[in-house]
Amino acid sequence: MENKHITIFHGPQHPGITGNMSIELDLIGETIQKATTHVGYLHRGFEKLIERRTVIQAFTIVCRICVPEPDPNEANFAMAVEELAGLEVTLRAQYIRVMVLELSRLAAQFLWMAGQSGSIGLYAVGQWAIADRDLILDLFEELTGARVYHMYIYPGGVRRDLPEGFLERVSTLLEYMKKRLKDYDDIFINNASFKSRAIGVGIISKEEAIANGYVGQVLRGCGIKADVRKDAPYLVYDELEFEVPTETAGDVYARALVRRAEMDQSIHILEQVVTKMPEGEVMIKMPTHRKFKLPKDDTWVKVESARGEFAYYMAGDGSEKIRRMQVRGPSLVHAYTLLEDLLVGAELSDVALIMNSLGICPPEIER
Amino acid sequence: METIMFKEIKKHFATDDVEVKRSDLYKVGIKYSRLFELVHMLRDQYDYKILNAITCTDWIEEGHFALTYILTTLDRKHTFMIQTMVNRENTQIKTFSHEFKQAQIMERDLHEMYGINFIGNENLKELSLENWVHTPPLRREFDTLKFVNNNLTFREGRDDNVDTKAETKRLRALKKAAKEAAKKEADKKAKEKAEAQKPKDEELKDGK
Repeated sequence: MENKHITIFHGPQHPGITGNMSIELDLIGETIQKATTHVGYLHRGFEKLIERRTVIQAFTIVCRICVPEPDPNEANFAMAVEELAGLEVTLRAQYIRVMVLELSRLAAQFLWMAGQSGSIGLYAVGQWAIADRDLILDLFEELTGARVYHMYIYPGGVRRDLPEGFLERVSTLLEYMKKRLKDYDDIFINNASFKSRAIGVGIISKEEAIANGYVGQVLRGCGIKADVRKDAPYLVYDELEFEVPTETAGDVYARALVRRAEMDQSIHILEQVVTKMPEGEVMIKMPTHRKFKLPKDDTWVKVESARGEFAYYMAGDGSEKIRRMQVRGPSLVHAYTLLEDLLVGAELSDVALIMNSLGICPPEIER
Repeated sequence: METIMFKEIKKHFATDDVEVKRSDLYKVGIKYSRLFELVHMLRDQYDYKILNAITCTDWIEEGHFALTYILTTLDRKHTFMIQTMVNRENTQIKTFSHEFKQAQIMERDLHEMYGINFIGNENLKELSLENWVHTPPLRREFDTLKFVNNNLTFREGRDDNVDTKAETKRLRALKKAAKEAAKKEADKKAKEKAEAQKPKDEELKDGK
């Protein structure tokens, strides 16, 4: 029987989609001929809302730009405001921020592991990963009062100091994680089912990755040592030792290996932060929020999120409100420039697998 | 290296608007007519080969958009913000999508949000908005509240539908009435207690 040309929608309601977006797929048989990304199911107008808000009012919504990993948004927002207003945060606050960002990265990688394994039907891994991520969220709840949207990294420092015994509890969790991650190697990373599905799928070339501005594991999976924490260090990352893991194959499996190795590096960073945590204040004296004005100036700040470089452009206009804040996460370019190309020639069953490996998060596309 | 680069920019583009914002972040303001030339120079001579973003800020009072092209070096250690002012009415800008593939989607985003027409960009179709016929939403003249009041209706039975000012007034009045009623009740009880106590006191007074 001759194969028929059909068009189907993958998402927005699909377990293999990374958030509320859809991909329109033109297929012949099971092979994709054309892929078109569609977003707009989650447009909440953050960038517009922020234009009408004071700094503290805007602060409460930036974390909502990314559900799996809200903290890089908070860090970027705080760093941009501090740079425009000429504020310098204390050393202790910087260490605490690094701790929060690394815990958040670890939690995001667990969530990725759940999604990536689920995309090929290894559901046990997902259940483990969500349970282990919850242990990190418990710490976040204790520290910030919230599990997902922390609203903790505030311009001028962090919202409150560490509770008593918190660092010990972080250390205990890290010890557990070190042992636990080996189980994930057995059940997921070294699993023959995963290898046979991920090796040689979704290959991205090094040249293309550089030229098109791809970030994160997409670059590192092609052998490019790119990491904002090393390339343009912020906070106290230049005082901490860590490696930037890379792989050379450029496929889904290479990106998975990079992410798994990054989890070890996050643990290594967190151990150093626990040991080196200095004493001192966590918040500098800030102006009353209604009188807190940003000068007419602009800046560009970036951090390394769990999915790659995450940047903010921010402009002030001399008033209490932020004139413009533009979010540049990895997803805009990855979901359009990259994914639409990468899916051509791929099999229908590999769509979720490839998509999960690119770290696409729709809320940061339609800010 | 940076000093040579700045000198070169100042000399070739007749601008003093070059700024070191951070040790890894520079900014230059340039006329739109020289934008492409400067981007090409930075890309070809100084390794700024990665286009990170194109941002836009609406300066409605001054009648222009500030477009900022953000370029990063191949080693990702330095970033350059190239800012150019363009007229905010019927803005026509030449596309960068033929030189930087990622510019295609960035320009499409700005086209939708600001109404800027990027000449040569082959796909400026709607991105996240659907059948949008109003003012592009990130332009300053677009009033979100006015748009909501004019175009959207609230569903019956939802808390959102409540006029918060009137509701607050009503709740305060209820609270006040409850407080007054409680006070009246307490006064009444106290009076009754005092009444009940009175004969006893009189009896004691009489020595009975």
